[in-house]
Amino acid sequence: MDKIKVTGLKKSFGSNHVLKGIDLEVKEGEVVCVIGPSGSGKSTFLRCINRLEEITAGTVIVDDYNINDKQTDINKVRENIGMVFQHFNLFPHMSVIKNIMLAPTELKKSSPAEARNIALKLLDRVGLADKADALPNQLSGGQKQRVAIARALAMNPDVMLFDEPTSALDPEMVGEVLGVMNSLAKEGMTMMIVTHEMGFAREVADRVIFMDGGYVVEEGTPEEVFGNPQHERTISFLEKVL
Amino acid sequence: MKKSRVMWLVMALLLFFGVSTGSFATTATAQAQEGKTYQIGTDVTFAPFEFQDAKQEFVGIDMDILAAIAKDQNFSYEVKPLGFNAALQALQTDQVDGMIAGMSITDERKQTFDFSKSYFEAGVAMAVKQGNADVKSYEDLRGKNVAVKIGTQGYTFAESIKDKYGFSLVPFEDSAQVYDDIKTGNSVAGFDDYPVLAYGIQQGNGLQLAPTEQEAKGSYGFAVNKGKNAELLQKFNAGLANIRSNGEYDKILKEYLGESGNGVPAAKLGRFELIQQSFPYLLKGLLNTVVYTIVSLFFAFILGLIFGFMKVSHNRILRIIATIFVDVFRGIPLLVLAFFIYFGLPGAFGFTMPLFVASVLALSLNAGAYVTEIIRGGIQSIDRGQMEAARSLGLPYRTAMIKIIIPQAVKLMIPSFINQLVITLKDTSIMSVIGLVELTQSGKIVIARTFQSFDIWLVVAIMYLIVITILTKISNHIERKVSNG
Repeated sequence: MDKIKVTGLKKSFGSNHVLKGIDLEVKEGEVVCVIGPSGSGKSTFLRCINRLEEITAGTVIVDDYNINDKQTDINKVRENIGMVFQHFNLFPHMSVIKNIMLAPTELKKSSPAEARNIALKLLDRVGLADKADALPNQLSGGQKQRVAIARALAMNPDVMLFDEPTSALDPEMVGEVLGVMNSLAKEGMTMMIVTHEMGFAREVADRVIFMDGGYVVEEGTPEEVFGNPQHERTISFLEKVL
Repeated sequence: MKKSRVMWLVMALLLFFGVSTGSFATTATAQAQEGKTYQIGTDVTFAPFEFQDAKQEFVGIDMDILAAIAKDQNFSYEVKPLGFNAALQALQTDQVDGMIAGMSITDERKQTFDFSKSYFEAGVAMAVKQGNADVKSYEDLRGKNVAVKIGTQGYTFAESIKDKYGFSLVPFEDSAQVYDDIKTGNSVAGFDDYPVLAYGIQQGNGLQLAPTEQEAKGSYGFAVNKGKNAELLQKFNAGLANIRSNGEYDKILKEYLGESGNGVPAAKLGRFELIQQSFPYLLKGLLNTVVYTIVSLFFAFILGLIFGFMKVSHNRILRIIATIFVDVFRGIPLLVLAFFIYFGLPGAFGFTMPLFVASVLALSLNAGAYVTEIIRGGIQSIDRGQMEAARSLGLPYRTAMIKIIIPQAVKLMIPSFINQLVITLKDTSIMSVIGLVELTQSGKIVIARTFQSFDIWLVVAIMYLIVITILTKISNHIERKVSNG
């Protein structure tokens, strides 16, 4: 069954046409990595899926909800779509555990005590149980991103979106974040990951999508895309990054 | 839901104004008798016609005559010491019922007002600094500055001869400022009504009369707005005739203009005694300054919250409304805004506006525009990613604002809020032009009585400094607490 179904998606910022017609289905439990040169529209595409960007044309359906339908309670749908950002976007005025507890308690999903329990378990899972009461600015970049993943998981979503989660990290911290993502993938989470980590994509992705100039240029298994790219733009991109 | 909330706010505002105005009106009340209480506008600093004595009661020829007539005619009244110009405008716009302020009856004024029979005759005289023997005639004014009080006969006369004798006019709001300008030498001479000058000189204001004749002799009258309050005018005329015939009138004049100058303590106070004597009065002014600052900032904050959030909203119409609000009230000088609200609006639409409401309205609209910008700036300075992270978790816009954006923005806004607090506190002094007796106006009133501008302005300045320093320290303390907590 399709967890995410995108048809004819177009997105323009004024006269700047960033997405020019994208079709994509993501099955439950599938891990899709989106690669491509900067400016190709990867991040915009990802942000259209939970409506952080209003789309210009087409449809985006997540869990049978039409994301852009006025009838859809977008907040309800978003509870089910976790998102991790390049720059972490932790709430600096709250401790680590408060960051994670915020959504479950505010949205009345759990009592504060339950939310605390969930948060502690999630922190344990990302290996930061000892940082519960730290403030975000006391953490390293890798630690921040792991907290951000824990925060995104707190509402127990079915889908996780990762927008270049390791791009802002020092190289030695990339591994710890990818490790957490890898284990998530193994647990069967449906994931869409915009990334420049080709090794990670090759290892973890069920499917790799190459975007350029607002289109999906090529898609396939990691073996197909990395091992035997068909399109010349894919070839020239991979030559540069590999 | 949003609409009803705004309505609620407006209601609360009106209610607050309604309740508060009663207690803040600056008035000297005569014994209440029966019927209507007339509002009588007057000047604050026109000795010997009206001024506050050391007991802070309004006395003077006008005040005593008015009191005697009111007693004779059995009506009650309230004195509104607005300042001459403000009182003129207040009368014209029916904010007051009558005006007595040593006002000469002129044809020009008769176009706008109805006058009583003359209750005093006087002309314009010229005064120079004590010991100045150089200015003997108008010819000696050539190329010099001459100080005058705006809206007086002295002004009109000086203007009529300034081209002929080649001098420049320096206009002031108060007689005390005219005297100071002459004393400090900026102006070589000044023109004012003879009894005013004579009384000031008798009180030791450091001037002397120049050896010129009294000019443009005129009659002083009590005024009502044209076609209004005929009954009051009638009572004034009848009472005036009565006190003239029973000797009361002569007694009053003798008290202020008699050679001995009795009735008014002419003995000069020492510096310390002067300050000591005026201090309670200045403190009262200071209290008003602080109260008006706090009340105005409270409303400014509400306005700032409403329009600040409108400015960052996604709705274009709301943004435009908020932008207009800011542009209008940031673009109008506070002084003009105060005049417009207190005199302009009531005059145009025929209602009376209590001084308290006008002052708070002007101050809070002005400060509200700035607070709007502080709040907008604070919110917009928070990284977009914070809102996106909160929204991506499923939090509604409101919750995200309240839990994530505002707590961070407030920290950034605090220094600007402290700044606005200091600005608004100082800006309350501008309300003195519409007659609000806050600290600056209190200082003016004391100086009008004592002519000791250096000492009093020094005390006033120090009072401002102390209060602002204390408030700033408290605010800084709060700021530290907020950013550490």
